[in-house]
Amino acid sequence: MKMRWLVLVMLAILATVAAGCGTAGDDNVIKIGNAVALTGDNSTWGQAEKNALEMEIEKINAKGGVLGKKLQLVAYDTRADATEGVNVTKRLVSDKVAGIIGPGQSGVAIAMSSVAEPAKVPFIATSATNPKVTVDDKTNKVRKYAFRTCFIDPFQGTVAAQFAAKELKATTAAIVYDVGSDYSAWLGKYFTAEFEKQGGKIVANEAFRSGELDYRAILGKIKGTNPEVIFIPTMQKEAALVMKQAADLGIKTKFVGGDGWGSPDLLTLGGSAVEGSYFVNLASMDDPDIQNFIKEYQEKYKADPIMPNPVMAIDALYALVDAMNKTNSADPVKIAEQLEKTKDLPVLSGKLTIDPNTHDPLNKPAIIQEVKDGKFIFKSKFVTQ
Amino acid sequence: MFIQTLVTGLAIGGIYALMAVGYSLVFSILNFSNFAYGSIIMLGAYIGYYLLMEMGVPVYLAIGGSIAGAALLCLLNERLAYSTLRKRNAPSLYFMISAMGTSIFLENFVYATIGSRFYAFPEVLTQQNFSFGGVSIGMLDVFAIVFSFIAIYGLHYFLQNSRTGIAIRAASYDMQVSQLNGVNIARTIGWVFLLAGALAGISGMFLGMKYMVYPTMGWITNKAYIAAVIGGLGSLPGAVVGGLLLGVLETFVSAYVSSVVRDVFSFSLLVVLLLVLPTGLFGKFLEEKV
Repeated sequence: MKMRWLVLVMLAILATVAAGCGTAGDDNVIKIGNAVALTGDNSTWGQAEKNALEMEIEKINAKGGVLGKKLQLVAYDTRADATEGVNVTKRLVSDKVAGIIGPGQSGVAIAMSSVAEPAKVPFIATSATNPKVTVDDKTNKVRKYAFRTCFIDPFQGTVAAQFAAKELKATTAAIVYDVGSDYSAWLGKYFTAEFEKQGGKIVANEAFRSGELDYRAILGKIKGTNPEVIFIPTMQKEAALVMKQAADLGIKTKFVGGDGWGSPDLLTLGGSAVEGSYFVNLASMDDPDIQNFIKEYQEKYKADPIMPNPVMAIDALYALVDAMNKTNSADPVKIAEQLEKTKDLPVLSGKLTIDPNTHDPLNKPAIIQEVKDGKFIFKSKFVTQ
Repeated sequence: MFIQTLVTGLAIGGIYALMAVGYSLVFSILNFSNFAYGSIIMLGAYIGYYLLMEMGVPVYLAIGGSIAGAALLCLLNERLAYSTLRKRNAPSLYFMISAMGTSIFLENFVYATIGSRFYAFPEVLTQQNFSFGGVSIGMLDVFAIVFSFIAIYGLHYFLQNSRTGIAIRAASYDMQVSQLNGVNIARTIGWVFLLAGALAGISGMFLGMKYMVYPTMGWITNKAYIAAVIGGLGSLPGAVVGGLLLGVLETFVSAYVSSVVRDVFSFSLLVVLLLVLPTGLFGKFLEEKV
């Protein structure tokens, strides 16, 4: 008797699933994929990214959609994990999306390429800043289906180093980086190269493994070298802990970081220890160009959009919509070909031009933010030289 | 730098020791490693954080609440995940698998309900520093070490002198025989889990204050587990020594070699030690109960 119930329940579940599949082939919608970290360490950005995309797509649909069809966002969680990223891409490909927005992490994006390239579905990374995301480092050729709307790490590292050398007038620097993260390790290297070019000296270069909680051992070592600046190219959690523990050890230097810092978590976790630190970011809440977007977002979700992913994702959405309009189709292959030709497209963060040789945006400005009175303050703007 | 490293190492080791004692306590009775322990520690930290930040109770009450909450959760964990297995005389491998399942369940439960955000305790609790002769140590570290030792000593006293403690020690030698002599095994095991849970509450609170509160914070118990094995699983003094030893060693490796090879080092130490002393530093030879 029990067995029969079980079979019935199973059949019911199967029927629901089958019914769900039936609606998948709806001809009146164009699906836009979103590979995004909705849980895990990067979820604060990921959730804001998804919210922003949903809000923007609602607006586009209200105005009649694209090519006479409604857009539909299909967002799956990557947990900022490379393996999950591959699974998510496979699912999105089988969902027949026109293109994918995201991911935000370089490691995930590089892994995703292994699916997106053979499937011929383009993805536009939001905040994946490693050069290898769009250019295959083995063949040195651009990946045909990989794009991004953010600047890349060599530029970011250069900006951070120039800022430390010129504006902070530092001549010695120490680096604390995460050896388990491509983003962190390479950003440290780009920083080193430019800082030395500026005549500075790297006095300590200390690595830790992802997930580390206690940095006091390496900070004790750095304290002895007495650097004027400590560069911490990590995510907000690690950076906050490093600065907090540096304060515990009585280290009094300036701290500089990359776009991984740009989360309110940095402030809540770091408290007074992060006051007076600086970091490079992709977008800022103070940017006058995006005030309308911020207002709409705040009204809809009763919270601030966590920068920079929402802005980068909306830029990507505009690029996709533009490519669809110009090719008059939702075919991923045609969209990818058109994306490469994107030039002076008005997007949220300014004007977007994609370099066909690298698939990176050209002339993307970098913003330096300062942590002051528990807030991120706009400090200065750098543009690629 | 040498003394600073030593002090830092002891502070880290103190928390390892506290967690290792919790592991050893359960192992000494049921002869399996309670891998759900890390999740109980994590929940203890969330309880403490909630009491302090949302309910606005004073710190000592928040610590008390965290201890009580984690103890109850640990007891609940035993009643739901292990007691049925125990009644069926399941081999300890099944206990371990059940523990892993519980651990993954609890972690994901927190992800699904509370979310994956990081929480930090207010700074007043964590900012004060002592400094003497160029060596600085956080107030919290001193407090953690002192409190850990008081808790561990209290536990030791309880085990040596109370009726329940004697029952626990008897059961840890032989459950069947002590049962024949009138020890209520279910109640004794309940006590063990309550005590281990209380230690989890303290460790969770200190870990949360020192670093932050987040769903996967319980993973640090892997280290406590190694500490317990180094000291000899099932031996309480062994757990303390193992914890301190591991904390100090790790800090020295991070400071003088590289923090990248720190874990390579801790795990190699474990392997080498087990080759030389299969039962750890203070362990008795225990046969697997099948």
